[in-house]
Amino acid sequence: MTHDLSFGWTGTIGEVTLGATRDDGGTRSTSYRIGGGTTLPFLKNAPASPTPLIAFEICDNPDFWSPIIRNYCGDLVNSTTDWAKAATSDYQADLVKLHLTSTKVRNFSDIASVQKTVEAVLSATSLPLIIEGSNEPKIDSEVFLKCGEAGEGERLLLGTAEAGRYRSIAAAALAYNHSIIAQSPIDINLAKQLNILLREIGVQRDHIVIDPYTGSLGYGFEYSYSAMERIRFSALKGDTDLAMPMICSAADTLTIKEVREADPASIDDVAVAWEFYTGVAAAVAGAEIICVRHPKTIGLLREAFAGMKTSSTAAEVP
Amino acid sequence: MRTVTFLPSYRKIEVVRGTTILDAAQRAGLNMNVVCGGQGKCGKCVVYIQSGKTEFDAQKYGRFFTAEELSKGACLACETLVQGDLQVMVPESTLIQEQKILIEGEDNPIDFRPSVKKYFVELHPPTLGDPSPDLSRLLWGIQKSGGPEAEKMYVPLEVLREIPSILRHSDWKVTATIGLVPGGYRCIDLQENDTSGRVYGAAVDLGSTTVVVYLWDLVSGKVVGVASNYNKQISCGEDILARVNYARKNGLTRLQTLATESINSAITSACNTAGIDRDDIYEVVVAGNTVMTHMLLGIDPAYMIAEPYVPVVRRALSVAASRIGIACNPNGGLFAFPAVSDFIGGDIIADILACGMAERDEISLLIDIGTNFEVVLGNKEWMFSCAGAAGPALEGGEVLFGMRANPGAIEKITIDAGTLNPKFTTINNIKPRGICGSGLIDLLAELLETCVIDRTGRINTEIDNPRIRKINHFPEFVIAWAKETDINKDIVITENDIKNLIMSKASIHAACVTLMKEAGISRHEISTIYFAGAFGNYLDKKNATTIGLIPEIEINQIHNLGNGAVVGANIALVNRRVRKQLDEIAHKIGYIELNAENAFMDEYTSSSFLPHTDLTLFPEVQKMLETCRLRKG
Repeated sequence: MTHDLSFGWTGTIGEVTLGATRDDGGTRSTSYRIGGGTTLPFLKNAPASPTPLIAFEICDNPDFWSPIIRNYCGDLVNSTTDWAKAATSDYQADLVKLHLTSTKVRNFSDIASVQKTVEAVLSATSLPLIIEGSNEPKIDSEVFLKCGEAGEGERLLLGTAEAGRYRSIAAAALAYNHSIIAQSPIDINLAKQLNILLREIGVQRDHIVIDPYTGSLGYGFEYSYSAMERIRFSALKGDTDLAMPMICSAADTLTIKEVREADPASIDDVAVAWEFYTGVAAAVAGAEIICVRHPKTIGLLREAFAGMKTSSTAAEVP
Repeated sequence: MRTVTFLPSYRKIEVVRGTTILDAAQRAGLNMNVVCGGQGKCGKCVVYIQSGKTEFDAQKYGRFFTAEELSKGACLACETLVQGDLQVMVPESTLIQEQKILIEGEDNPIDFRPSVKKYFVELHPPTLGDPSPDLSRLLWGIQKSGGPEAEKMYVPLEVLREIPSILRHSDWKVTATIGLVPGGYRCIDLQENDTSGRVYGAAVDLGSTTVVVYLWDLVSGKVVGVASNYNKQISCGEDILARVNYARKNGLTRLQTLATESINSAITSACNTAGIDRDDIYEVVVAGNTVMTHMLLGIDPAYMIAEPYVPVVRRALSVAASRIGIACNPNGGLFAFPAVSDFIGGDIIADILACGMAERDEISLLIDIGTNFEVVLGNKEWMFSCAGAAGPALEGGEVLFGMRANPGAIEKITIDAGTLNPKFTTINNIKPRGICGSGLIDLLAELLETCVIDRTGRINTEIDNPRIRKINHFPEFVIAWAKETDINKDIVITENDIKNLIMSKASIHAACVTLMKEAGISRHEISTIYFAGAFGNYLDKKNATTIGLIPEIEINQIHNLGNGAVVGANIALVNRRVRKQLDEIAHKIGYIELNAENAFMDEYTSSSFLPHTDLTLFPEVQKMLETCRLRKG
């Protein structure tokens, strides 16, 4: 049975460029232009959408990281640079996403260290970099400015702007020409509102990536999926305030009961399976970037995306 | 019995031991602020015992007072029992203050067809040759004087009993009052001599806060007196819910009595102004919300406040006014407006009547805003309605310096884009004490236009201006410095206040959109928006559009109906034909239960933005805000 997949959509997802190569004034070995889709991904008989990118998440203070990952990655987690190198060469991620968990320590004030960490990671990996900055309004401004400054010219993706705190991250992004992750709590209207707020303080549409907030599979992912679907449908129908690529990080996956309390012998498999299925579902909903924390998830996702990828030629349709 | 003396007015009342001071005060005619309905929850009914023995649990309710206040005899009137003779000081703040009450309705030429008419007749006394009974003699006389046909008139026993003596005592010169009732004509009253020029009617808006009465001369078709006062039920709870709960606890009698007393005292003062006798009022038409109407008629409203929200009756009712204690002619009638549902009551039907939307082809949107809001969309063919909670923010509740429209409330405000200095006017032009609803809407619009707040209502604390500051990390904007105010405190609006306001406006706008979607129309098809109620009269239409309280349409297509309920009641009082249509209108209106509407929450979130997440719904506002933003740089 074939379905008519011509939806009559007129919109196109805006493109956002991540990373800058030498030609663009940066030092990355590659850069990505994400977005640009005109329909949903993985559809037969429809123009092919670009395969989602896979970002590997690391951090600069592993105390805030899942013990599953700490055990699996071993000593690597104690060296942000080694971890970033492994993400690039061993795990074969498309992007590295650095979480500045060091800023979560109570009364954190060593802003200079932020700059050092970012610089070190940028030299350890040549992949485009996503940075998840502080989560504390008091130091937001300084942390984001330091990240922005350290990554100047590299077209970073900075996270995370929310409706309640977006000014300081936007200021850093505007000053150093980086892009922004705009996160809203699983709601199409709130997603759109944040994009309008960002636009009104000068952030261009091609510098925004939507994070619809990704619940873990079985723990609210169905809401995320539905919100993502609505966001994408609106964008394809022509709502330019929602026509941005999406990024999904189902970080909660590693803390849910089923994973946390899994049999130690199979805990990695359970964690990877959970991350994998959440990631695949998010990709089907239209996410352009899937973030994972377990190295083993990367290969599985890549394989799955290759398998789902369909050609745009009508000839292949049975 | 114990005597309670209320100071400073020295009003005395005798009560039995164990009566609450609140009860005593109410009986003494003092209207106290009782937001919670006398449950000891709100701490508003503060009084000071000067002398005498009382029973009050200072431990339990101590949280409402400072130690100093307690030592001066402070207590809650609703929780203090009279034990001996007392002297009680009632601070001004405990009493309900004078409020800007909306009396004027929109001027409308009214089609005059009253349902009560008097006929002066001079009859020939009976003789042996003409021995027809008194009644037929009278009825024939009325018919000959231009009244209805004799056979079509019904004369109740009470009037019949009076006929023989009045006819003979007046030497067969009498005035009969004939009313048109659902079954035909009814002889309401018989008076000696010619009183045909004295027939009056009262149109009543029975609001949950205020009662407004218009007194009409039903011969000349002119208004002869207007009066208003508080709904005395306020002493049993400020909002409807508190009053229904009061009724559940203490029975309905008190609330029924207070409703009629409120109407009666307004009727009395209107009569005094006009110099007429209450007994010459033959008809009273009451438009009130569904709960008020139930309470006035003494019908138990207890089942209306819980799911599935069913009223006892929704059609129009005609009853003898004396049966519910209304101060008018003992044979006078009372007509109560029909309702659509628990939440769309006779007051809204009166609004619809007043604006005439049920007679036109064009589509109108009617919005009545209070703590609750009601919205009606439609034309002469169809209508949809819904109601919901707007929250108290637009009436000044849940806003730090919010207040009702009392003297000293900032009611209009503009903010200079450069200096951010506000310019405002207050009610009665005294130093400001707070901000009322219309002021809050202005403020929200002005803060948005001057880019002090973003579209979610967050204050941009990066702006360098002394008026923008953070208190304990919470951003706020200073409207008036302490020295400029009447309360010696900086009057501010906090980010939290703004959030509450946005929630209120969002629920109203979302309700409008829900009805529009139900009807399948866009904002372009709405020809007119009507604001009903006091609130609409004072608010700035442009600012109401700027913040997205209402759908964007041409400003000159937005009308303030004023007190639509009293206008509607007036129309129904003087035009009997209209009364027949009311049930039809009420039946035509479809009621949308927002709680059951899945799309409502979505519309609400999307309306929780200034003016709206979908900016294409507000093209002119959007243009204006873009200009403001560019000017700011």
